[in-house]
This record gives sequence, structure tokens and C-alpha cells, in this order.
Amino acid sequence: MKDCENISESMGRWLDGELSPAESESIRAHVAQCADCREAQRKLEKLQLALEGALMAESKSIEFEPFWRAVQLRIAEKRTWYEDALDWSRGLFTASRAAWAIPALIALLLAVASLESYFPGWRGGAGRNAFAAVDSIDAHGRNVALLREYDSKTTVIWLYEDQEGENETAEEPPPPGPAF
Amino acid sequence: MKLPKNLRRRVLLFSLLSFIVAAGRGAAQKQPQIVQVKIGTILASNKNDEFDAKLKGLENQLRVLKYRSYRLLKDESQNVPWQGSKVFEIPGGRSLMVALQEFQDNRIGLKVRLTEGQKPLLDTTVRIANRGNFILGGPPHEGGVLVLSISAVAQ
Amino acid sequence: MELSDRELVQKCQTGEMSAFEELVSRYHQKVYMVILGLLRNREDALEVAQEAFFRAYRKINSFQGGSSFYTWIYRIAVNLAIDAQRRQKRNPLDFRESMDGLLESQDEVARDPFADVHDKELRQNLTNAINDLTPEHKAVIVLRTIEGLSYKDIGEILGCSEGTVMSRLHYARKKLQDKLSAFL
Repeated sequence: MKDCENISESMGRWLDGELSPAESESIRAHVAQCADCREAQRKLEKLQLALEGALMAESKSIEFEPFWRAVQLRIAEKRTWYEDALDWSRGLFTASRAAWAIPALIALLLAVASLESYFPGWRGGAGRNAFAAVDSIDAHGRNVALLREYDSKTTVIWLYEDQEGENETAEEPPPPGPAF
Repeated sequence: MKLPKNLRRRVLLFSLLSFIVAAGRGAAQKQPQIVQVKIGTILASNKNDEFDAKLKGLENQLRVLKYRSYRLLKDESQNVPWQGSKVFEIPGGRSLMVALQEFQDNRIGLKVRLTEGQKPLLDTTVRIANRGNFILGGPPHEGGVLVLSISAVAQ
Repeated sequence: MELSDRELVQKCQTGEMSAFEELVSRYHQKVYMVILGLLRNREDALEVAQEAFFRAYRKINSFQGGSSFYTWIYRIAVNLAIDAQRRQKRNPLDFRESMDGLLESQDEVARDPFADVHDKELRQNLTNAINDLTPEHKAVIVLRTIEGLSYKDIGEILGCSEGTVMSRLHYARKKLQDKLSAFL
């Protein structure tokens, strides 16, 4: 039975002459002894005959001269650039390509939108949200300054030391605060 | 219009891929298990004009402060568990406590306390971009001032 | 002495229109038959066949000779026919009329040896069954049946592997057999 299954798969190739001599001989020998496979061969050959009859009925009905004149007319016709572009673009928008292209485009758009999640700062760290946001500051009575520098997107919290207390004990005066 | 079977398969495959990408994006928004916090301790002064090569990545930010010299004293990283905190030792008998507060829209909320011994110098809550940083500075040290670059990376 | 296809192509590439005319003369019938097999409508098949040769003329300088000329022209023709099939928006009535016209002409030339297919009902069902195949499956059936081309040549024309040709032929024949089981 397994042989019959294999031969059923190869029957078309055998009848089309696409098998090697050894494979052909093996199938021929089996079919000679198997009624089921002979029946399968008969059906396939009958289908082939029917196909030839159906498809080749028109084989002699076109004349060369009118056909050639029509081709010459097309050659003589000057096509505009947009007709050429339209022909070219028709080839792009076939159903199978659309079936790939549309979901691929959706996946691409989602991937780009997700880039920030997977690669934060991929836009170079200079995006809108690069600044640190300071929600609260408590310097416990000391002076404090908050600076945002736009070019480098830097947030600076600067704590000024208590000048009076420090001056009593320090060997040298503390440097002045940053000159921002 | 019903698509042929092989085209339906392709549409289904890519829709599945799209869903996975979208789900991944959603997953990326969930709270991270730990956040790696890095503190760069820098000595800024006007004693000379030296700029520590190790601070190249922070050069643009440090230039904002307009000191002439910057030297990296210490670079320390610690993994801070979610809703936990870690303490970083800062020169001059100081310490910096960093606690994680929230994670939303790829920004990390931190609560930061700078103390000198037992004395609190500064309490602040900030929200920084994941892999971003902010600068905290001012405490005097060795003829200059300490500048802390505080950054966080969600794992 | 008759020139080979390759020599005719070389002459075309130097601008000799008579060489192209000779190529059209050699292949216009075969190309038309293949396209008719795919489109099942005489007028459309004629137009597409003419367009195929027109495009071949325009692209003749880009033909490098990597394949034979007939494979090349078939490829152009089959691609145009497949595109035309996808664009065909015939309503059922128009479709039936074109099919009836085709069947009538088959009766007129029924004196040929393929008159085994004298059962009109079988032909009608076969025609419908062929038309239910996808353009790609129809193409392999037509190229194999009308031209007796090898799987290798069919693969070159359709831009696919021999294995794909083999599986498409197997699938198409199985589908046709299933639909026509009462008649086979």
C-alpha cells in the first residue's frame, strides 16, 4: 500500500518523462502488477487528453499578418512616461505582494514605535524627555539652585553650603558656586 | 474578498509577528525587577585646567558648571531592587541614599537623600529617563566642590 | 539558411526589425495558445499576446541570452496573463458568454484527433475546473499541456524551482481529477 501511495505521488512525473530511467522502470514494473495503480494511470491519461482537447482547440486560428501589424502599431505608438510608470507600478501591487507588504508595514510601524522601549535614547538622548524632572527639593534650610541647560539637556541641582558656618573653620575659602 | 489560502497564511503570520512586537512593547513597559544606579563622584575646581579623560562622556554637561578643572574621584554602581534603596559613600564623610519610587513611560522615579554624617543636606525626588542622568553638586571638598552624576538603567 | 533564435536576437539588438518580425512569426502562435489557455477569452488573449511581443521588443537590448528566447518570451507572456487574470472583473454573464463562444469554436474544429473530448458536458466541467485553479496552478497546467515543456523550462518561465512546478502540477491535476471524477 505504501508503494501505491508513493507511486500515486510520482505518477504525473512518470507520465511527463521527468523521472530517471531507474525510477521509471520501477514504477512501470509496479503498475504492470497493480490494478489500482493502472486505474490511476488511466484516469491521469484521460485527464491529460481532455486537457489537450480543451486547451488546444484554438491552435490554428490566428494569422500572422494581422498579429504582426498590431504589434508594429504598438511599437510605433509613443508611450508617455506615466503610462510606463503605471505599467511598472501594476507589477508592484499584486495581491500576493500586498499580502506580504501590508502586514510587514504594520509590523515595521510597531517596531519603530517600540524602539524607544527597547533602545531608550536611540534618538541620541536629545529627545523631548531627556531632561530629568525634579518633583521636589528640600535643602533643609540651605540655599539650593535648580538649573536646566537645553543644549546638553542637563538638569543640575546645586547645593550652596552655609557660608557663615564654613568660613569659621575652613582653611581656605570654598570656591564660589558654579557660574551658570 | 476572501484571500487565497497561501495569502491568508502569510497575512496570519505577519499579523502574529505584529502582535508579538506589540506585546513586547507592552512587556517593556512593566516595572523592571532592578535598577542599576551609578554615581560618578567628580571634583570640580579652578586650581588648574585639567579635564579627566575618563569624564569625556560627561564633558558637555560638566561645561555647564564653568569650572576649569574636573577630576573623577570615584565611580560606583549598585543594583537597587524595586522599592528598595542603596547607600553610596561620598567623600568628606557624606553618603547618598537612592530609593526607587516608580517606573512609567520609560522614566525612573528616584528619591535621593544626601547626608553629611547624620545631618541631611538635601532631599529630592526626580524622574529621569531610563539610561539618563542628572547632576547634584555643591558640597566643598579639597579646595573644590563635589559634583555627583547620578544615572539609572532599568534592567 | 535559417538563423537561430540567438542570432535573430543579436540582429534585433542592432536595430533590424526584420529579425524581430521573424521571431514573432516563429512564436506568436505558441504564445497566443498559452495565454488563451490562461485567460479563456480570445480577444483578451490576442491583446495580451501582442503586448507581450511589444514588451519583448522594448526590452530586447536587456536580453542577455542567459535563457532561450522562447523561455524569455513565455515568461513575459505568462506574467502579463497572470496580471490580466487578477485584473479581470468579469460579471458571471460575460464569463459564461465567452466560455460558450470558446466551446462553440471547439465544435467547429472538432475534426481534430482530440475529438475524444466530444462530450460537451465534460468539456464544460473541465473548463470550469481549470478556471477555478489559481493563476499559478493554471499556468503550469497550460505550459505542460500545450507546450509539453519540461519542469525545468516551466520553472524558468515562472521564476520558480522544479520542485515547485512539480508540486503545483500534482496539486492542479489532483484538483481537476476530484472535480471531474464522474467523467474520468
